[in-house]
Amino acid sequence: MSENALDVLHDLRRRRKRHRLDDIEWFDAAYRVYLVALFGGGTVLWISSSVVDSTLSDRAVADIARNGPALIGMVTAIAFLAALRSGAQGGPLALEAPDVSYVMLSPVDRARALLRPATQRVRSATYLAATFGAIVGQLAGRRLPGTPVAWAASGVLFGITTAMLWAGTALVAHAIRLPLWTATSIGLAGVAWQSAALVWHIPGPANLDGSLAMWGWRQHPIDLAAPLLALTFVAAGVGMLQLTSLDALARRSSLVAQLRFAVTMQDLRTVILLRRQLNQEQTRGRPWVAVPRWVGHPIARRGMASVARFPATRLVRITVFAAMAGVLQAMVVRGTTPALIGTALMLFVLGLEVMEPLSQEVDQPDRTDGLPIERGELLVRHLIAPALTLVPFAVVAAVCAVSVLGTTSAIAPAFILALPTVLAGAAGGVVSIVRDAPDPTRTTQQAFVPPEMAGLSNAFRIGLPILVSTLAASTVLLVRQAERLGTSTTGAALRGAIGASLLTLLITYWVRRRDHWRRKIRQFMADGQSYAKQRSTPA
Amino acid sequence: MTELATRQLTKSYGDRPALEPLTLDVESGAKVALVGHNGSGKTTLMKMAAGLLDPTDGTVQIGRHPAGSQEARRLLSWLGDMPTFYDDLSLWEHLEFVARLHGVADWQGDADELLDQIGLTARRDDIPTTFSRGLRQKAAITLAFIRPFRLMLVDEPFVGLDEPGKRALLTLFDAASRRGATLLIATHELTFVSQVGRLLALRDGKLVYDGAPADTDVHALVLPS
Repeated sequence: MSENALDVLHDLRRRRKRHRLDDIEWFDAAYRVYLVALFGGGTVLWISSSVVDSTLSDRAVADIARNGPALIGMVTAIAFLAALRSGAQGGPLALEAPDVSYVMLSPVDRARALLRPATQRVRSATYLAATFGAIVGQLAGRRLPGTPVAWAASGVLFGITTAMLWAGTALVAHAIRLPLWTATSIGLAGVAWQSAALVWHIPGPANLDGSLAMWGWRQHPIDLAAPLLALTFVAAGVGMLQLTSLDALARRSSLVAQLRFAVTMQDLRTVILLRRQLNQEQTRGRPWVAVPRWVGHPIARRGMASVARFPATRLVRITVFAAMAGVLQAMVVRGTTPALIGTALMLFVLGLEVMEPLSQEVDQPDRTDGLPIERGELLVRHLIAPALTLVPFAVVAAVCAVSVLGTTSAIAPAFILALPTVLAGAAGGVVSIVRDAPDPTRTTQQAFVPPEMAGLSNAFRIGLPILVSTLAASTVLLVRQAERLGTSTTGAALRGAIGASLLTLLITYWVRRRDHWRRKIRQFMADGQSYAKQRSTPA
Repeated sequence: MTELATRQLTKSYGDRPALEPLTLDVESGAKVALVGHNGSGKTTLMKMAAGLLDPTDGTVQIGRHPAGSQEARRLLSWLGDMPTFYDDLSLWEHLEFVARLHGVADWQGDADELLDQIGLTARRDDIPTTFSRGLRQKAAITLAFIRPFRLMLVDEPFVGLDEPGKRALLTLFDAASRRGATLLIATHELTFVSQVGRLLALRDGKLVYDGAPADTDVHALVLPS
């Protein structure tokens, strides 16, 4: 060979980078950074300022000292489960389709060629986890012994370790072609063991990593074994890159390209859809249960048929989201206000997951337009089956909240508030799906949003659904307030439930009337333009 | 010498078999057509030979090397039915990098000649992702031929091509054959079958014919069961 294939590959990458840099609209990029900094930074500052600065009681501190490592270690155990499953499903690497066609099929050393994508994967995961760790760490530092800076640093350390463990484990699981059922079994065993460690205070597999997150308070040198282990996994994964399956890379390449595009467009619905495809999650061929004959309306029947075909993995995921929402709401009642954001996100994603019939309808606009029913009415009818589906998951959320609060007085408020909150929270997902749908009232000539407003409009498009879910989650604050004032928590829960139900009704009405309102606004704008044109034309 | 050898090669998707155990030898310099109805297993077989798909069971060898190995990749050129390109490189740059990745130092002359033959000279500095379906196919053909190979696997090469494009491709196939390269071409273009020396037919994942094209009714072979 006249020149080294790896040198050619590096040259190819350098030239592509140069082309990309040449194509960047720097003003546009700067504007996007500005928006992210404005809204992202604003959110973090709001969360930080909402944390009560008073330190916890001695009893609570002792409780955290005892349970903290096992509880935080649960995050690591879940990351380990996710990594095993990701590797078994062909992850974590994803190349561009032409890289698979031209680079991976050329006689280049694949291990060397994949080194950069692997490094980038590890780097992006550690960066994300470190940022998240720093934010959570500094929040913890406001209420626990130790400075926020020290806690932020230990959060970073924990994030990096967990991300490295995730990436390394996924690479190894991929290389050894771990079957999915084995990966899931091993991962679940790890989570079960860690749960046992939390409940019965036995040593857990992820306790050291969990303890590392508490270095902002106290340091145990033995905890450093966790990052060393994570590094070992990364080294093993990188060392086994030669065994990467081209089959998996080829399958994932086109999906990842679509996923990146969807993320760029902030199209959350597509992101979720593509994530499912990446995980090879397929709808069941045979439904769990047949749709009852008494369900006569075709749209309701269609919705129930869709829900009855949810794969087990999605049902487990929805259960986990519901359970976490319950736990986070309990944390809000106990005084951790920022947990509200977590609840909102859980309910929002839960909504996106469960609203499959609605999403399918939105994804097929041509078919929708061909039906002899007004679109708004059609979409509203598609909400019935998912709403019914949410009932058992609301029960899961309530049970989890009561378990964390550990008092029988929480039973009534939790069960009163659970379903309305879950429904209203999931309505955030509905807003996202319906807002991202193609707009049949719009023609190509009509674009009334000036370019300089497009960025804000985008931010609003992403922010509104989360705001709806946050409002739904906020109803729990009434219960907390009642508890603090010594008034009836059941009464407060009832008021909260009414508020959440009103929010759900409002969103449903918006879905029903949205096209009508938009048509009217567009007509009004068009009339205005035509009037202005008439006036400017000399008689 | 055998250029492509499969032994009990099998592929299943869940419970559904895509290719039943297949044992096959393709000799050096042969020009072979692979036909079959949609879903008969043609692409599955080709992708496993190219190393793009993991077999459920059995083996594939290119020359004497396992499919997908570094040596096998050096010998095999793959022209798939869904061409992909970088969206930030021109066709000329694609040709440059594919040629150089395969160790071709003086590639410019060959690239010019290929572009001229296929009719893409005027588009050499354009980004191929912006091309129409037919032009993308032509671009993919130039990339498959710019590099040296002993075995070429081609999946549905005529889709989207206009008549001059088809003629140019047939000329390239002939030239490769004359150089001693082995060609395995999966196609629905049954008129092409008369130009090959050996015909393979798959039906529902099973090899139902292996012989000379003249000895069979090709149209009957491509009917699903």
